This record gives sequence, C-alpha cells and structure tokens, in this order.
Amino acid sequence: MSKLSEYSKTGHKSGGDDVGTGTDELVVDIRELSKKYGKFTALDRLSLSVGKGQILGFIGPNGAGKTTTIKILVGLARPTSGTATVGGIDCVAAPRQLKRLIGYMPDTFGSYDGMRVGEYLDFFGAAFRIPRRTRAKRIDEVLELARCPKFKDLFVESLSHGMRQKVALARTMLHDPLVLILDEPANGLDPPARIEMRQLLLDLAARGKTLIVTSHILPELARICDRVAIITRGRLRAIGTLDEIARQLNPQRTMEVLLTEEGAVDRAAEVIRRHVEAGGEVTPSPTESAVRFRTAKSDDAIAGLLGELVSAGLGVIQFREVQTDLEEAFMTAARVGDAEAAADAAKAGLT
Amino acid sequence: MNPIIRRELLDLLRTRTATAAMIALAVVCSLLVLVRWPTGGVSDLNGARSLQVLRVFGYGLLAGVLFLVPAFPATSIVWEKVNGTLALLLNSPMSPWSIYIGKLGGVLGFAVVLLAVTTPAAAACHALGGMSAKGGVVLLYAVLAAATIQLTTLGLLVSSRENSSDAALRTTYALVLAVVVLPLAPYWFLQGGSGPEVDLASLVRCLSPVPAVMETLGNTGVGDRGLGTEGDVVPRYLGLSLLTSIGCALMTVSGLGRNPLDRSRPAGVMTQDRSLSGRAARRIFFLVDPQRRSGSINLLFNPVLVKELRTRRFGRSHWVLRLIALCAILSLGLSYIAVSGALAWGSQSVGGVIILLQTFLLILFVPSLASGLISAEREGGTWRLLRMTPLSAGAILRGKLLSVAWPVLLLMCGTLPGYMVMAMVEPDQFVRMQRPLVCLGVTAIFAVLASAVASSLFRSTAAATAAAYLIVVGVCLAPFLIWLGKDSPFGHPTVEAALACSPIAAALGAADFQGFDGYDLLPLNWWITGGVSIFLLFVLALRTRQLCRPE
Repeated sequence: MSKLSEYSKTGHKSGGDDVGTGTDELVVDIRELSKKYGKFTALDRLSLSVGKGQILGFIGPNGAGKTTTIKILVGLARPTSGTATVGGIDCVAAPRQLKRLIGYMPDTFGSYDGMRVGEYLDFFGAAFRIPRRTRAKRIDEVLELARCPKFKDLFVESLSHGMRQKVALARTMLHDPLVLILDEPANGLDPPARIEMRQLLLDLAARGKTLIVTSHILPELARICDRVAIITRGRLRAIGTLDEIARQLNPQRTMEVLLTEEGAVDRAAEVIRRHVEAGGEVTPSPTESAVRFRTAKSDDAIAGLLGELVSAGLGVIQFREVQTDLEEAFMTAARVGDAEAAADAAKAGLT
Repeated sequence: MNPIIRRELLDLLRTRTATAAMIALAVVCSLLVLVRWPTGGVSDLNGARSLQVLRVFGYGLLAGVLFLVPAFPATSIVWEKVNGTLALLLNSPMSPWSIYIGKLGGVLGFAVVLLAVTTPAAAACHALGGMSAKGGVVLLYAVLAAATIQLTTLGLLVSSRENSSDAALRTTYALVLAVVVLPLAPYWFLQGGSGPEVDLASLVRCLSPVPAVMETLGNTGVGDRGLGTEGDVVPRYLGLSLLTSIGCALMTVSGLGRNPLDRSRPAGVMTQDRSLSGRAARRIFFLVDPQRRSGSINLLFNPVLVKELRTRRFGRSHWVLRLIALCAILSLGLSYIAVSGALAWGSQSVGGVIILLQTFLLILFVPSLASGLISAEREGGTWRLLRMTPLSAGAILRGKLLSVAWPVLLLMCGTLPGYMVMAMVEPDQFVRMQRPLVCLGVTAIFAVLASAVASSLFRSTAAATAAAYLIVVGVCLAPFLIWLGKDSPFGHPTVEAALACSPIAAALGAADFQGFDGYDLLPLNWWITGGVSIFLLFVLALRTRQLCRPE
C-alpha cells in the first residue's frame, strides 16, 4: 500500500504546529465515514478532523463526495457507517442540537421573494429562537460583519449574486455558530468582494470560529486555509498544510538555480545531472538563465550540490526550492485517485 | 421543429405519468359511453340519451380545462427564470417569438393530445344518434380548444411577469376566476332588460367559456332564469377568446423582448428614515404602512407562519386590510341587491347562491394557495435552509397550514354579511344555514389538506397544483356530473351515494337548494370528508417528517 493510501486510511493529522491560528482542540471529528447510495459509494472511510479556529479547505473534483460529507456534517444526510461529531455532538444522534452549532451556507442562496433583507434575517433569527430584544442588534452585527449593512432594507430578490453571497454569509453567522461550513463562498464575487470575503473568513477564524470552506478557486483557498483536505472518488487523498500535502503526494521537490550568464546553463545542468538520482528530471532554461530539477535528496546533499556549483566557477545568484501550489497538488491527487480507481476496476474485472 | 416544443412536449409525452393520464382519460370516457350504450333493440331517435352523456362529459372536460390547464403555462416561463435557463434561451439565436411559440406549443400540444384521447368517446356519443347541431361534438371541441388557448396564453403572460412559481400560480388562478366568473355577473343582473348596457353585458359575458359550452350542450346560460338567449354566444366567444389570446401573446412577447430577468425592485425610502412631517403624513394615509420596517417576529408566533404571510403578496397586513375592505364592499353590494330587488328569489335561493360563491372561491383559491407550501420551497432550494434550522417538522407544518387557513378564513368571513341579509329576510332560515356553513368549513379543511398533501408529494409546483386541483375538483365537483344524469341514466340511490362524497353537494342539500333537496346527505358526508381529512393530515404529517429527516 502506498504511503498516500496509508495516510488516507488513518486520515488524522494533529492540529499542532501546522495550524496557523488554530488550536489543538478538536471541533470537527470525522471517523471512517462511509456513505453508499445503492451500489455507488459516495464516501469511502473518510477520516479527518478540524481544530478550533482553523480554516480547512475542502477540495475535490465535481462528484468527489464533498457535498455528501457536508450534508452528513450538517445533519441533512445519514452515513452508512462511521461517525461524525461537531463540538462533541454526534451528527446522527442529535441533529437538532447540531443545528445550533453549525452555520451552513449552501452553494445556492435560497431566496424568499417579497422580503427585505432585514425581514429575511429576522425569520432565520426567529427560527433559531434568538430573543427579539437581541435579534435586531444581532442582525445589524452580522450585516456589519459581512460588510453589507446597507442591504437591510433592500428586497432579497433584487440582490445581485455577490450581494446575495454576503447576505447568505450574514445568515450563516446569525446564530453565532461554532462551525461555519461554506460551500463556494467566493463564487461569483468580483475581485474587491473576493478580497473582502477572504479577510472576513480570516477575521472569523481569528474569533475562534472553525471554518470548512469548499472552493474551486484554489489560489484563493491557498491564501486563507490553515489546512487543506483533498478528496477524490469519495476517498481522502491528502490532508495537511500545503507543504505537507506536496510532500505526501510527491516526495520529490523542485529546485531552481538562477545563473548570472546564459552560457553557463548547460554546464550547470551537467553538474546537477551528476548529483540527482538516476532518471532525475533536469530542465535547463537558457532564456531565463536558469536550471530546474526535481530531487528527493536531503537538505545536506542539496547544500553539497550548491557548493559544487560555486566551486565550478558558475555565477549562482539564486538557489531555491520552488513551492508547490495547490493546483498542482490537487491535480496530482486527482491523478492518484484516477489511477487507484482504474486499478480497483481492473482488479474487480479480474475477479 | 422548434427545439422548445421538442423538449417540452416530446419529453413530457415520454413520461409514465403522461401515458397513465392518457389511458385513464380514455378509460373514463369510454365507460361513460358504455353506460349509456343501448342494450336493447330500441334506438333513441331524438338524441336525448346521447346528449345526456355528452353533457356529463362536456362539463367534465370544461372543468379539466379550467382547473388543470393553467397550472402548466403559469409555471412554464417562471421556472426557467428561477433556474437561470431563461437567460440561456434569450442568449440563444432564438427570437422571443420562437421561445414563446415553443412554450405555447409545448403546453397546447399536451392539452390537444389529452383532448384527442377523449374524441373516440365523443364520436361514439354522436353515433348514438339524434344529436342536433346545437349539441354538436365538433362545436364543443372547438370551444374547449379556444378555452385552452385563452387560458394558456393568460398563464404564459403571468409566468413571464412573476418571479416565483407559487406567485405565478396564485395570480393565474385569480385571473382565471376573473375571466370565467366575473364576465357572467353583469348579464346575470341586467338580463331581460334592454339598452346599450345590456348589450355590453351580453358581450362581456361571452368572454367566459362557460356560457359557450352551456349553449353547445343545449343548456341555457348560468342564471338565465328561464329567459332565452340570442344563440350567438359560441361565435362571440370564439372571436373574443381569439382576441384576448392574441393580446396576451403580444404582451408576453414584448415582455420577453425587453428584459424579463431584470428583477430590480426599488427599496423606496423607509418611513423611519423620513422627516417627522413625512412620517406623520404616512401615518394618516396608511393604517399599516408598507414602507415601515417590520418589527421582529414575536417568538410566541410560529416564524414559518409569519414568513409565509410576508412572502405572499396578499399576506402582508396592508394587503389583508385592503382585501377585507374589498370583501366588505362586495358583501354590502350583495346585501343591497338581495334586499332591494331579489327578495322574490326566497332565502333558499339567496343561501344557495352564497354557498355556490363560497364554494367556487374555495375550490379556486385553496389549491393555488396550498399546493406550493412545500413544493415551492423544494423547487426554490429553500427547503434545505428550513431543514437547517432547529424548527421541527411539526412546527414547519403548523406554520404552513395556518398561513393558508388564515386567508381562507378571511375569504369565508367576507361573505358572512350575505347570511345576515338572509337572516333579515327569514330568521328561521338562518338557523338552517348553520349546517351548510359547517359543510363549507369541512370543504375548506379537506381542500387545504388535500392540496398540502399534493404539495408534499411533488417537487414541481406545477405538478403539485395540477394534482391538487384534480383531487379537490374530483371529490367536490365530479359527483355533480353524476347528478347531471339524475333520473336518467343514474337512479336516485346512485346519485345520492355519489353526492354523499361531495361536501359541496352536502352543503347545497342542507340548504335545500333546488335539485338537491331530495337527497339525504348528512351526516354521512361529514363522516366521509372528516375521515378522509384525518387520513390526509396523517399522510401530510408523515411526509413532512420524512422530508425533514436526514437523507
């Protein structure tokens, strides 16, 4: 079994040092969660946890099982097996208690025509039994927090998509939930609104809220999430910080050497080829006066390579590791998922 | 072929529901003819028997057209709008006219297929022989086809203007009421007179398909009181329905051509933000100011009830007050007419007319109000939000049912002054009218529950509305088709058994309304309707609980 598969089976990773603003206190805990619709397995023994104040980016291709996981977490679906708790409350056993702990913002707004925004929020406030005296104040607070205090008197049906997203977020925060689960919150927002939304989510995490955010805008997600979980075909492929995920998915890292002269590129490439593993990928780029290579060697070995390049009289002006971005990690995870699925299918065919 | 027709009609015809509807219709129509098919060697040369069957079947088809057809066009365009597919259609090379013709063709095509399924039975009626030109099958179908086109174009017009399926349904059915019933009123009061106003009333009456169908089937018009009609109602109706259809089509297409997706709605200046004088002025002119920020929902009230009333155009307090005022004016008008000129009718006639009016209002409005209670939430994606609140299934259901019960109660109370007039005319009769009033209450409960059950069973509001009308009209009015064939072909026990199932017939029977006074329908009907209502409530509670549960 591959390292990745092993990881996906246990799934848990301590919140500890990989969490930016969060703490070790677990708020969301999912263990061996499976969901089957007839013969189709939507979720396959998914396990993950999120600590207090953390922002977890939950990503995966369409149909990967993200919405199913969210539905189970918010009490809208029952798992076939496994457990999920939020704030210690079992999502299956106590769904009504759970609803007070979770604020869920689905990808569709859910508009009631003929209502003003203030009335719309007042209805949800009343549904959550927020006392009248504090409700009006709370509505003003969440509208302020969602950066849309002037929307209060507007009719819900006349709001633009971006405005609706803000109102939906205000609705989600209305009952002051412990966990916010946001499905594509930045979808349809213009750049300024997206920056605002990003800042808002960071503010909420700083206030101790736990956030689970799904998005297909991966660079956006990479900027706010403490940890990322990648799910494909119902299985957790990786979870952790971006660096951890990159290492889990691909043990090799990409290094870049920037040289003073274009003519030194080929010589530098020769030196590097001697050092990297057999079949290691070395890509000279004369136009950029740079050489990129991939290696699984240790930091000491790489430091030795730098010394050799300098001893060879090559003018090295930069020697650095190229950071893997979330998109690359996601694509690698998707490929691993596809390969596993193909292998499973072949195995099933043979039996 | 227009791609919209292909999508809407062919896809619909491929469904099992459509096949089942066609088979059921064909079987019912065939059975009707079989009942009257001569078994002996004697032939009915004057055509009375075939006309009896044709009447049962003609009024049944008219009820189907009036109650079922509008549900489909009413939700056709608005559904595309809500789901965002109208933008795609308008962005395609298709012109607004092509889109409109596609939509119209889709709905009309299905209606035509359903009408066509009934034609063999109609032809068999004709084959029974002796049918006069007045009772001609072709003419009946021509009138029904014109009514279908008229109501479809009206529904599409409303659908292009509204922003939600349930609002479109309510408006469409209110307009159907306006088109079918209101044109009859002026003629009803002015008939027998002469002058331009009578001619105008006679023309206006022809906007409704009811007199045309009645003339085709050899009956006199509604409330003709023995006076003969000119006999030109059918051509007038065909002409007027064509004109109104063209008018509706032009308005719809021009609306589609502008920008139907522009949902901007100005918020206006809130009263609290106005100057002191502005606030004072509005205080004088508005008893309940619509521009005033609403207060927070009191936790003693069910929030779903308040939400339903706030989202319903006529649910807000200022509209409720306007509706009450309108009802009061109408009741006073009715009282004036009853006291001044119609005392000769007798209190039984007055009572019967009031019951019929209330019945019609109930049958028309209750399904349109209640059939979107759950289906509209599921269709619009808000059901998930409701499920995410700590509200229990019971609380949601209570709020929803009360939100329908409240306007229905107001509607019923709006006609109470008529009973007061009756009490003045003949105090003894007032005591006797208590039983019909109980029957109407039972009808209202049954109609609300049946429509709510339909709403919980279907995801599409249009399908739920059609099903709700089918159930309510089927139970309340279908026994009247048997009653139309009283004495022949149906005997007294058969008619009595059929009428015992209809709470409306029971109400008319209790009021000793002419034609219903010979039947003993109570308390059997209360037991039947009450039992069915309890069963429906049970199904509704179960279904709501099921829908609120995790998947």
